[in-house]
Amino acid sequence: MPLDTSSYSLALLRLDGRRWNELRRIHAQISTQAAADGSSYLEMGNTKVICTIAGPAEVRRTGGGGSDAEIKVEIDIAGFSGVERKKRTKTDKRVAEMRYTIANAFSSSLLTHLYPRSTIQITLHILSQDGSLLAACLNAATLALIDAGIPMTDYIVACTAGSTSSYSSNDESADPLLDLNSSEEMELPFLTVGTLGAGEKVSVLVMETRAQIGRLEGMLAVGVDGCKQVREILDQVVRRHGKKLVNSIVE
Amino acid sequence: MCHRRVVESNQNPDFPNQYLPQREQRQHRGDERANSSPAATMPPPLTHPLFSPPELSYTHTSLLLQPPIRPDARTPTQFRPIIAETNILPGTNGSARICFPDGNEAVVGVKAEVERSAGVIGSLLRKGGRGEGGGGDDNEEEGRKGVGENAWVELTIEIPGLRDDDALPVFLAAMLNEALLASGDLVDRLWINQRWHWKLYIDILLLSPPLSYPIPLLSLTTHLALLSARLPRLISEADEDPLFDNDWEASIHLYPRHNKSSEPTPSKPTATKPKPREQPPVTLLVTVVGENIFFDPSLEEIAVADLLLAVSISETIDDSEPPPEPKPTTTKPPRNIRLLSLRTIDPPARLTPPGVPDALNTAVTQAETPKNKAATTDADVDYSGVWVPPKGGSKRKLIGRIIQMVIEHGGVGEEVLEGLEGVDVG
Repeated sequence: MPLDTSSYSLALLRLDGRRWNELRRIHAQISTQAAADGSSYLEMGNTKVICTIAGPAEVRRTGGGGSDAEIKVEIDIAGFSGVERKKRTKTDKRVAEMRYTIANAFSSSLLTHLYPRSTIQITLHILSQDGSLLAACLNAATLALIDAGIPMTDYIVACTAGSTSSYSSNDESADPLLDLNSSEEMELPFLTVGTLGAGEKVSVLVMETRAQIGRLEGMLAVGVDGCKQVREILDQVVRRHGKKLVNSIVE
Repeated sequence: MCHRRVVESNQNPDFPNQYLPQREQRQHRGDERANSSPAATMPPPLTHPLFSPPELSYTHTSLLLQPPIRPDARTPTQFRPIIAETNILPGTNGSARICFPDGNEAVVGVKAEVERSAGVIGSLLRKGGRGEGGGGDDNEEEGRKGVGENAWVELTIEIPGLRDDDALPVFLAAMLNEALLASGDLVDRLWINQRWHWKLYIDILLLSPPLSYPIPLLSLTTHLALLSARLPRLISEADEDPLFDNDWEASIHLYPRHNKSSEPTPSKPTATKPKPREQPPVTLLVTVVGENIFFDPSLEEIAVADLLLAVSISETIDDSEPPPEPKPTTTKPPRNIRLLSLRTIDPPARLTPPGVPDALNTAVTQAETPKNKAATTDADVDYSGVWVPPKGGSKRKLIGRIIQMVIEHGGVGEEVLEGLEGVDVG
């Protein structure tokens, strides 16, 4: 862990003061935009994502549409979201992979067979990025889909997990880490794990860095455990919103 | 280079130029469908309003009344309430978000980066007052500092479902950019020294599909983001490589603030007269129906508008003039509002389907006697209560009235700027 070799081994605290198994602050809101069918705003630390859902709507294309609803994902990474101002094109490979991963994950959790010949459009606006981008997108999309009232078997919740030592170093005492920020992501091997609900059913697993196989199990276990915490937090957000909605109708 | 239309006294009242050639747009949409781009399935409602001729006729008639009745019961100069917040993104120099009650939402982030100037000689020449005309500053006034280049400000607009090179975002960006650069005051402030300057990136994100013409929303959000934008304080001398103060608290606002006498100004202790400070521009959308003028039109109103006008204004605050001693009256001192640009926007009403009067409607006339066949010339047909798309064109007097309503003391411009001052920009 070249970034904070000195501090981590001494106090077992990361650069931002968290322990190995602590999540960053997650703040979420649903129904943030009146114009969309479903919308949400999610902050995981300094990663900020707005998600809007359009649909399920009729497919306008000729010859399109099957017996299941089609899930389309659009990701728009704002030019000002990173440290340096950078304009990403829509054809960026990394973005394309994220789109595919998200669409794939939700096509298994949403009851798409209830909406034949229709599309569900998920639009994600990334306003600020500080690590765990894919995880934040998945969580935000889950909340927005709940707001849109699209039936699903359970929440898809995601978080990242890493390991304190890089691939090459033979550090036996390497700790797994939960919920990496962008400076940690740059240095350390990490994976994004998404589970369906609070169980141990992994539905998304993406790893783009190299790690020793022995460390993978620990990382995965920590990640799945983190997903349980995330689900708890998202569930509270949904319940709070539901309660507010019911109160506003009753009064 | 943006097409510039600076207001002159002998303004052509007909405004023949239309910046949204429909054919071009359809072509774009055509390619998109071929690419099966997700949101291309539905054209934006602002260019193709989905209203039937009777609906259009109803709205049009109620807007023609004296006094007019707007669909949402506002007065002609009343704006819709907005939710605004600033400094929402810690990773930017300045940011803002505005929500309209109809669900339109925009986020603007302003980011500044240090960039090496193109050539020392060029900037020296410019500093010497010899405007090179670089960056398309074709209306360079004399007496302007003129060290800045228009290319130092980059403004992009992202609208979901539209491509970056679609006509709408490009046109909107050019319109906002034009107002922003109109005075050259902003780009001059981006000058650091002869070799370095700030490059200002203004990224505008429309988060919702464009429900109504988004120019006021985008412009107000940009205004707030620019007001909240700060640049780190320069601590290096003259032409050294720039070095900045690490302390964000010590940063300077991109648009200098009211420095009330209580606030010390460490950078300039000399008793020089403060320069008049120009505030970021605001672009307002105005529609005209008959003789009636409406501000902040909703989609229904835009769909029947005879004329759609984007009016850019900015305020200059002159601190050197001491504010007039408080008079016993309660009226506020007039603001120094200046008109920056005026542009017509192709009103979508032109493309709406016309209504068919009963006399020409075969479904109605068939039941009647065949003598109605004679009534096929236009003069015989009664068009009252039938929607006829406007053909365009507006009187010069009307444009003059709009400008006056915007910039006069106690006018709409002052009201808008006053409302925006209520937002805490940090």
